Amino acid sequence: MDESNHWYGHSHILGRYCDIPDETPRRIQGYLQHGWNYLHGFPPNDQWCCPGYPRFIWSDVLRRRGWSMGRRGHYLIGAPWIYLLELEPELGVRPERKGTIWYPFHGWEKSSVSGDHGRLADEIRDVENGPVTVCLYWLEFANPDIRQAYKSRGFRVICHGDRGSRWDGKGRDFLRKQLVELRRHRRVASNRLGSALFYGASVGCDVAVYGDPMQFEDERPEYGGTERRKRLWPELHGTSVDPGLAAEITRRELGFEYQATPEELRRMFGWRRARAAATPSGSGTALARRQDRAARRDPADPQPRERRGDRAPRAASVRQGQPRGVRP
Amino acid sequence: MSVRTNEAPGNVSLIGGEMLLWSDMSAVAGVTDWRDVALELIRRLMPAGGRVLLVGPHPQPLVDEVAEAAGTAAVLLRSYPDACALGERHPDLAVYCGRLEVFDAGEPYDLVLALDGLMRTHSAEAPASAWRQSLAALAGLVAPGGRLVLGVRNDLGVDRSLEARPADRECGDDQWAPHGFDPSYPGGPDDLDRGLEAAGLNLLRCYAAYPDRQAPRALMSREALREDLPDALTFTLSAREDERMLAADPLRLTRLVFRHRLGDQLAPMWLAIATRPPATEKPPAEEMVTSSATEVSAAEEPGGAAELPLGLFEEGAGLYELLPAGVRRLPDGEEQPIPGGRVVEEILVDACAREDVATVRELLSALATWLEDEDGDPSAGTDSLVHDGARFAAIARPADLPERPDPKVALCRILRRFAVRLLAAGHHHPWPWPLEADQLTLTLCAMAGRECDQKDVDQARKLDVELGRPAELAEHTPTYRDLLRGRDRLADQLAAALARIARLETKLTYRERELVKTKARLRRSRRKAGAYRRSLGYRLTRRLSRPRKVARRVMRLLSG
Repeated sequence: MDESNHWYGHSHILGRYCDIPDETPRRIQGYLQHGWNYLHGFPPNDQWCCPGYPRFIWSDVLRRRGWSMGRRGHYLIGAPWIYLLELEPELGVRPERKGTIWYPFHGWEKSSVSGDHGRLADEIRDVENGPVTVCLYWLEFANPDIRQAYKSRGFRVICHGDRGSRWDGKGRDFLRKQLVELRRHRRVASNRLGSALFYGASVGCDVAVYGDPMQFEDERPEYGGTERRKRLWPELHGTSVDPGLAAEITRRELGFEYQATPEELRRMFGWRRARAAATPSGSGTALARRQDRAARRDPADPQPRERRGDRAPRAASVRQGQPRGVRP
Repeated sequence: MSVRTNEAPGNVSLIGGEMLLWSDMSAVAGVTDWRDVALELIRRLMPAGGRVLLVGPHPQPLVDEVAEAAGTAAVLLRSYPDACALGERHPDLAVYCGRLEVFDAGEPYDLVLALDGLMRTHSAEAPASAWRQSLAALAGLVAPGGRLVLGVRNDLGVDRSLEARPADRECGDDQWAPHGFDPSYPGGPDDLDRGLEAAGLNLLRCYAAYPDRQAPRALMSREALREDLPDALTFTLSAREDERMLAADPLRLTRLVFRHRLGDQLAPMWLAIATRPPATEKPPAEEMVTSSATEVSAAEEPGGAAELPLGLFEEGAGLYELLPAGVRRLPDGEEQPIPGGRVVEEILVDACAREDVATVRELLSALATWLEDEDGDPSAGTDSLVHDGARFAAIARPADLPERPDPKVALCRILRRFAVRLLAAGHHHPWPWPLEADQLTLTLCAMAGRECDQKDVDQARKLDVELGRPAELAEHTPTYRDLLRGRDRLADQLAAALARIARLETKLTYRERELVKTKARLRRSRRKAGAYRRSLGYRLTRRLSRPRKVARRVMRLLSG
């Protein structure tokens, strides 16, 4: 339907969740929100999202805002990230987490950001105590000056890769790589609120937002700018953020409570199930995953957790060996 | 229609004002279609061995019941063909044909039934009498101590506000004197009481008839309507079973009427049960008492309102009586409390309206669990189930099924029924793809966490037929609201289709451009390849390599 449905391996993750054989990701009949957004889930100039096709969005606030702006046909399924967490409960889990992973705000293929990376790197060095990993978007990573600005301060510089497309396999493991990195760090930070921050908070990282937020070359006024973000989430800005509050906001923004069942997604995406090709009942299927979760559940706990509730951020932290959930 | 007067059966008497070429029993006439609730009420009022008179047209089952149960029964009709047909069907029944005002009963009746009201007691042969005059004539037919059951349509009934064009102003053949110009017609319940009082009658109990005046399926007394009625009951009262989703607006409006405790004032129709006081009592006109006081004193009399039901309503195939602390199924059911909570269909429709798929998922999962683990009633529907936040409860009694269906099939049936009704009602919902009820059903099953397939849906359809409750709504004449809804739907579909075409055109243009570029690249590559093949180096290489290849093949052959 649209190229952005396949960015960051989203369609691939959802395909796996739906037990769709692992081949070229299928076309999603609708528009999948591809990143955290504080407008309506899509860019302001979203005329390419034509009516009649659903908009698969992450959270209810986007639906309400979109509705007020004349958009219709929203369907809440939560972020693809929450499906990845379901699929990969153990991926990259470490007994001890260290340091900070820092995501400088990035541009994209058609628009770059302007800002002083050297100054930002100095600020990071002043604030962070432990080792710092700076994760750049591939565009910035391809720029040796930017890389050098961080490397010269002793930071480890990485890149999760290209966001990919439907036809190449480049972005397929983007979120998996990100998950592994987030689970090895204790803290996630950025100069702007964004998907990475919430992803980090959802796997138990402490959150921080500080530094020059930088500017898009043609930043759209519809978003309301940095000031609006600060007005909406003042509690998430700063070098130290209350983890409980961050967990609560993350739960809302990533739409944990809206996780759909595999069959529902198959029907909504227009994916006919290839039963013959799908793995027979056993490990790997959605049903098996659910059974596996039930088996792993603490037998001493008399109250079985809610189906979707158990993925909600909860008290147990990753540092205590729990693969998912953020600290209260 | 041509009917000759000399064909009249012997039990039909023409009293004057009879309408020879007219029938009130056609569908156009819109005679009130009373069914079980009215039959039950009449059974309770029937005097043993007494004289009973039916005034105006009544549904056939009701006339048959009266003719069978009454000691002496008579009928007064204005239509000659109707009178003849009735006279032939019941040879023992005295059938009078003509105007009410000229009817001379001779001996008054113990029970006078005019459930259709007074409008169809007038004849085109004479100017229509005022309502109060007709009432006075009717009251004159009631014996002292006898009872009158009178239907009165409410001009401000909740059903009136839903009509784009009022049915009584359609210039139909029966509207030679359209309703609405009679100043004596009751303008509210109090006015009705005063009218009855002025006619020398004491009100025993007044019922509000719901959901509409054409086909009342529930009678609720004023006393019951003063209470806060539970959702499980008001949902039942608010629309006919086959229209609970279709008539979404009436349903909502009527629910509001009950919530605001205006059930009596805004009832589509009233059914007043009054008695003529015995001759020894002072004439009511001389008594300076209010109508409510009259009502109370009459109710306290032996054989008064106390023996009349608080309310009666039809639900599915059953008839129920409202009791002070619950309901009981008639004829011999035990008293059951009315389950609390909201009607499931309303919860779902509300959630759909705000695209709250989380609530839909949660509720449907709970519903599936209820069917699987808690032996939920497989014959229930989302419109006959209430949910109090924790538990489901069926409003109606479960249907008798030879064997309990597979919970998956039962779930499919319930959800398919909901899907059909949701789509038919034109409510907003968040599912853009499955516009077909079966597809939507499967999506709903998926949301409940149950993977069903078309086979389950087919079995669910069969189960629906077994239960005698097809999910599909009966054909009906489209209303103004339906037309608006249809227009909106088409406009949406057209907008979506145009947007899709525009989008696909853009994509097509892009692909064509890509194709042209690729073709050009291909041409260039071919040209280059041709030039390369013609080059000296290539030809030399080929010539050198060919003998080597041949030699290699020969060696391979020789070596076996």
